[in-house]
Amino acid sequence: MLTAEDAEDETGNALGVLGSAGSVIRRLLIANRGEIAVRIIRACRELGIESVAVYSEPDARAMHVSAADRAVPIGPSAAADSYLSSRRIIDAARSTLADAVHPGYGFLAQNASFAAACDREGLIFVGPNARTIADMGSKIESRRIMQQAGVPVVAGDTPVDQTDEGISAAIDRVGLPALVKASAGGGGKGMRTVRERSEVAAEVPAARREALAAFGDGTLYVERLIERPRHVEVQVFGDRHGSVVHLFERECSTQRRHQKVIEESPSPSISPHLRAAVTDAAVRAARAVSYQSAGTVEFLVAPADGDDTRPPFYFLEMNTRLQVEHGVSEVVTGVDLVRAQLLVASGEQVPWRQETLTQRGHAIEARIYAEDPASGFLPQAGRLLLYREPRMPGVRVDSGVAEGDEVSIHYDPLLAKVIAGAETRDLAMARLASALRAFPVLGVRTNIPFLLRVIEHSAFRAGMVDTGFLDREGATLLEEPGPAPAFVAAAMAAHSAHERNSTHRAGTHSRVRDDPWDGS
Amino acid sequence: MNGRVSLLGIRDWGLGADARGATQMMVTRIGDGVYRVEHDGGVDVVYVAGPPDDCWAFADGDVYRNARDRMRGLPAARVDATQALRAPMPATVLKVMVAPGAAVTAGETLVILEAMKMELPLRAAGDAVVSAVRCREGELVQPDAVLVELKFEDLRI
Repeated sequence: MLTAEDAEDETGNALGVLGSAGSVIRRLLIANRGEIAVRIIRACRELGIESVAVYSEPDARAMHVSAADRAVPIGPSAAADSYLSSRRIIDAARSTLADAVHPGYGFLAQNASFAAACDREGLIFVGPNARTIADMGSKIESRRIMQQAGVPVVAGDTPVDQTDEGISAAIDRVGLPALVKASAGGGGKGMRTVRERSEVAAEVPAARREALAAFGDGTLYVERLIERPRHVEVQVFGDRHGSVVHLFERECSTQRRHQKVIEESPSPSISPHLRAAVTDAAVRAARAVSYQSAGTVEFLVAPADGDDTRPPFYFLEMNTRLQVEHGVSEVVTGVDLVRAQLLVASGEQVPWRQETLTQRGHAIEARIYAEDPASGFLPQAGRLLLYREPRMPGVRVDSGVAEGDEVSIHYDPLLAKVIAGAETRDLAMARLASALRAFPVLGVRTNIPFLLRVIEHSAFRAGMVDTGFLDREGATLLEEPGPAPAFVAAAMAAHSAHERNSTHRAGTHSRVRDDPWDGS
Repeated sequence: MNGRVSLLGIRDWGLGADARGATQMMVTRIGDGVYRVEHDGGVDVVYVAGPPDDCWAFADGDVYRNARDRMRGLPAARVDATQALRAPMPATVLKVMVAPGAAVTAGETLVILEAMKMELPLRAAGDAVVSAVRCREGELVQPDAVLVELKFEDLRI
């Protein structure tokens, strides 16, 4: 543990993050847990910034707590009373005299009032300003801003005339196939797909009834349905001096119920022409809101349909934070996004120029979740009896757990991210597969076997995956291995024998082996 | 062999459907929870953890859990593991120390062979019951001949 004085002596201004206006981040509170907290703490260490972790009761011995220079308890297991409690986080920052807060992703990362509260307390919020967070958090407002900035949005309409005829006319305006949605809605309730003109008469009243029942508001919104879309997003980065750059795209179409599973860059599905168009649009979007720090502009890319009058991609939303998959862009461009966030939060300029940023080779990431694909991807809890991360050239593992740790059900089941980088997509996929085959996690079920089957699937290998792929192919990818093959059973038997007889150390004739790991 | 020798040279486990008598496997513990298995198909590294009655294994990206896998159409794997002790070289059986049905403990000498004027004791790899004795004192045995079969009743796989 460093004291404040030590930190000053060791880091001083030479290593501390000096802002142009003299604002220096010397002590950063990380308002998060797990792998992202560990990732941010590492960046702090590199920059000579003192790190302050916060933790809930079940996390008292978590990796992010031991990795940080100091750690503050912030409450019980329930996120609402700990990691999501704006007040407790700010109290922790004040009591440790932190001068900045990094929210990571999830929890308070896209909470505009938290960002505003940090401002009021004189804490640097490592991220965009509260206004940007609020604007981009609103579906209607973000859509309006993007349209104004010339970023294509999916055709949509909330007609003033809410009669069947009015909705029908709106469907004509956006074109078929269309989605009729509850304006107040979410979660698929009050949502109907209309593919044919003849379906309008039945589907519109049905959507209205559902909307009324679910939300007490029958107002309908009509949107053009993009079938079999791809999810392509662009990493952007801006500073308070007006610079905005992009760090190319990430392909994130391999999703399970809107949860990303595998991400890669470059996208195997877009042409150089389309890449230029989406990255331009993303930079326009970021400029439109004077974006500061790391952000992501998400697009839906429509399959080619020969209709040149429609743009092939549409603004989906902007994530005003560092993303889980930021490492993919780091590996492919060779930059450190968290370090850049800390620099920019201190008032410095974006540390790269657009011309110097390139995609070198290919990067691909798999998210390792504590979940059981065989039982509906149910999150799993338990002790990590054995947990050995792969170590091999070109493979980066970001994680927040270690062997022996208890995985709790209180939080996101993400254990680790494995990111492979190589010269080509084929090589990167092969490298990721070998890394996953060398990543034993025992004691808690994970999605590693599932991920391997995804990577080996012909559609994935061909780069032909749309966002519905995993949900459609689910059954075939869930296939469980049969009973343990004999060689595995033999190892289990040997292990059992070892556990039972570890005090005996008896040998069988010529097959006795020396065991250099055996300390007894 | 200065007392740092561990037992896990295990071969000829009678293992479920794949046993086929001819299957020979050699398991060596090469680290904490890490086992190297030499078998007909080659060499594999298997990670194993957990208590003997509920252990987990990882091999080549797949995970196996014995409690669960046992229930899944592998009646033979419910078996108590058997181990055949075989002659490592041409030898004469000098002494048979056990009879069928005898309970033996890990490290107990079962058979003493004599080869090239030297005595070679064969010991039990774990606590087990002798299920069969397949040699007689004074008999000349060839390499790989089965001498004694052991049954590990508590060694569920």
